[in-house]
Amino acid sequence: MATTRPPRARAFARRRLYGYAFVAPVFLFLCAIIVFPLGHAFWTSLQRVRGLRSTFVGFDNYARVLADDAFWHSLSISFAFTGVAVALHMVLGLALALLLDELRSARAALRIAFLTPWMVAPAVGATIWLWLLEPQFGVVNYLLRAAGMIDAPLAWLGEPGPAFASVVAVDVWRGVPFVMLLMLAGLQTVPPEQYEAAAMDGASAWQRFRFVTLPNLRYLLIVATTLDVINTIRHYDIIGVMTAGGPAQATEVLPVLLYNTAFRGNRFGEAAAIGVLLLLIVLALSTFYMRVTRVGSEDGAR
Amino acid sequence: MNRIHPSRTLPIVLAIGLSAPVFAQQPIVLQWQTANLTESQYEPIWKKTIAEFEAANPGIKVEPVLVARKDHWTKFVAAAQARKAPCIVTVDLTTAAYNGYLLPLDRYFNAEPAAFRNAWSRDMLASAKWKGELYGLPIWGGTYGEIYNRDLVVKAGLDPAKPPKTIDEYVAWGRKLTGDDHWALAVLGGKTDTTTRVLLTWIWANGGEAFNKDMTEATFAKNPKSLAAIKLYLGFAAKNGIAAPSPTTTNYLEQTNLFAQGKIATMRNAYWSVAKVVGDNPALKGRMFATPIPANVPNAPTLASVAASSISASCQYPDAAWKFIKFDADKKWAVQRAVVANWMPLRNDVADDPAIQADPMLTEFVKMGAHARSYPLPHPAWADIGANDVVDAVQKALLTPERTDAIFRELDAKLDKKLNDL
Repeated sequence: MATTRPPRARAFARRRLYGYAFVAPVFLFLCAIIVFPLGHAFWTSLQRVRGLRSTFVGFDNYARVLADDAFWHSLSISFAFTGVAVALHMVLGLALALLLDELRSARAALRIAFLTPWMVAPAVGATIWLWLLEPQFGVVNYLLRAAGMIDAPLAWLGEPGPAFASVVAVDVWRGVPFVMLLMLAGLQTVPPEQYEAAAMDGASAWQRFRFVTLPNLRYLLIVATTLDVINTIRHYDIIGVMTAGGPAQATEVLPVLLYNTAFRGNRFGEAAAIGVLLLLIVLALSTFYMRVTRVGSEDGAR
Repeated sequence: MNRIHPSRTLPIVLAIGLSAPVFAQQPIVLQWQTANLTESQYEPIWKKTIAEFEAANPGIKVEPVLVARKDHWTKFVAAAQARKAPCIVTVDLTTAAYNGYLLPLDRYFNAEPAAFRNAWSRDMLASAKWKGELYGLPIWGGTYGEIYNRDLVVKAGLDPAKPPKTIDEYVAWGRKLTGDDHWALAVLGGKTDTTTRVLLTWIWANGGEAFNKDMTEATFAKNPKSLAAIKLYLGFAAKNGIAAPSPTTTNYLEQTNLFAQGKIATMRNAYWSVAKVVGDNPALKGRMFATPIPANVPNAPTLASVAASSISASCQYPDAAWKFIKFDADKKWAVQRAVVANWMPLRNDVADDPAIQADPMLTEFVKMGAHARSYPLPHPAWADIGANDVVDAVQKALLTPERTDAIFRELDAKLDKKLNDL
C-alpha cells in the first residue's frame, strides 16, 4: 500500500532540496578547486612520474622522501624559519601596535606607512631586497661601508647564516604589518577602566602591560600566532625568489624543496609526497587553531 | 503555436553571419619559447624573424613567450605536464625527449632537400638526438672561451698579445689582475647550471672527466685530475684569492655585471656575453679580446651549448611549427644572430660568410668551436644534475673548502645512483 506523506513533510523535503540545489554550485566549485587538486596530488604521490609517463608505486615515494636526509634537513629549516619569523612578527607587531595605540596624531598616516610592505606582492618585495642585498652594488652594503660598519662587502645571500637571517628579515618586514593590524584592533577593545584602575593602584607601565594588556590580548595572540605559523610554514615566495633554497640548502624550507623536487628535479611523485606531508603538518596546526578558537568562543560565550 | 518575433531572431542571425568569416579566418597561433627571447641584443632579430615569417605565411601567427632565463625550464615543464606547452621550444633536449615532452622530427627533417639537411654536421645533429631520433634542429650555440678586458690587462702590465695558454700562466695573470677592490675572475656558484658549465671547462682543461663515456658513472672525485681542477678553481674564491667575493650567488648575470663594471678582468663565457657587457657598458665595445681556455693538456675540449628548436608533443600544429623552425634556421638569420646578438651559428655553411669573417672575435670563437663538446650532456636526468646536484656540491665546497674531497666523493656516489635510476 502506497503511503502519502503529509503536506508539511513534503514541503520540508522540497525546501531541503532547494537548499541542496542552492549549495550545489558552491559545493561543486569547492570540489573543483580543493577536493580534486588534493585528490590528484595524493594520487600523484603514489606514482613514479617521469614526464608524461607514470607507474603506480604505492607508498614508495613516501619511503624515499622519509629516508632522504634532504627532507629532514628541510623540515628542520622550515621549523627554524617559522619559529624565528613568527616570534619576530609577534614581538615587533605588538610593539608597533602599542606604539600606534599610544599616538594621538599621525596615527592613520603611520598605520598606512607600516602596512606598505604587506601591500607589496611578496615576489616583488623579495626581488627588491635581492638587489638591495647584492654584495657589490647593493644599497645595504654601500650604507654599511659608508657608516664604517664593515670594510669589505658582505655576501648576505651567499653564506648560510647571513642568507637565513636575510630571508627571515625580509619575511619579518613583510609579515609584521598584518600582526600589527590585528593587535591594534585587539588593543582598542581593552576596557580603559582596567588601565585606570591599575594606574590608581600605582601599577607601572610594565605592570599595566603585563597584567592588563597581555591577558586581554591572550586569545588574540594565540589565534594570530597559530594563523601566522600556518602561513609561514607553507611560505614559498620570498625564499624562492631570493635564494631558491641556497646556498648549500641553508634556506631550503619544505615548499622550496617541493618546488625544486618537482620542477628542477622532475620528480613529481616525490614532490607530491612532500606536499602531502606538508599538508599533514598544516592540518595538525589548523586542528590546534580550531580547538583554540572553539575554546576562545566558548569562553566568550560564558 | 508561439511565434518568434523577427526582431528577436535578427540580431542572432546577424551575429552568426558576421562572426562566421572571422572564425573562418582565424590564423594558426604558434607559441614560441626559448630562454633568450628576453635578452635585449636578440630582440630586434627575433621580432624581424617573426614579422617576415608571418608576412610569408599569412595563415600563421607566432606568439613569443617571454620567460626569464632562470624560469624557462620550470615554466616549460609545468606547461608540458598540463599538455599545454608552447609549440616551438628550445629546452634541455635529452631530458625533455626522455620525458615525452617533445615530438620526433625525423619525418620532417628527412623530407627536406639534401642541401638543407647537409647544412648540419653529423655530430651537430647527433647532439639533438635521443635514442636515435631527432628531437630538435640545432639553431645557435655558445662556445665557451676566456674573455679579457684589454684595458685592465694592459693596466696590470700584461701583454694582450701573449695571453695565458696554460692554467699556471692563467693563475700568474690572475694574481697581477687582482687588486684591492677588483679581481681577476668570478667563480660561479649560483643556483643555475651555468655554475656546472664553467666547472666542466676547468675539469676538461686539466685533462679530467666528470663522467665516464656512457654517462653511467660520475668521476668528479674519482678522477684525480678532475678533483685537482675543482680544488684549484674553487680555491680562487678563498680569502685573498683572485676571485670576486660571494661566489655562491654569482651566475651568468652577476658575472657579466662584474665584468661590465670593471670589477673583474676576465670571464669564462660564451660570445653572447660580449653583447650583454656592451649593453651594460658601451665604453667596453672593442676593448675586449678572447682566447681559448687555458689548459694543461693539448686540444682540451671547451664547452659549446647547443640550442635546438623542438616541437612540443602537445603542439596542435606541428606542420606549421616545422615551417617556422625551418624559416628560423635559415642562413640569413644564423648570420644575423651571430653578428648582432652574438649567438654562434651551428650550420656548416655560415662560418665563411663575409659578415662573420669581418668580426675577429666571432672568428676566434668559431675556431674554438672546433674543440668543443656539446652541452647539455646527453642524459635524461641532466636538467636536475646540472642545475641542482653539481651546484649544491659546488656551494658546499665553497662554504667548507676543507671538505671539498668528501663533498665531491658524496656527489659521485649520489650521481652514480641517479644516472642509473631511470
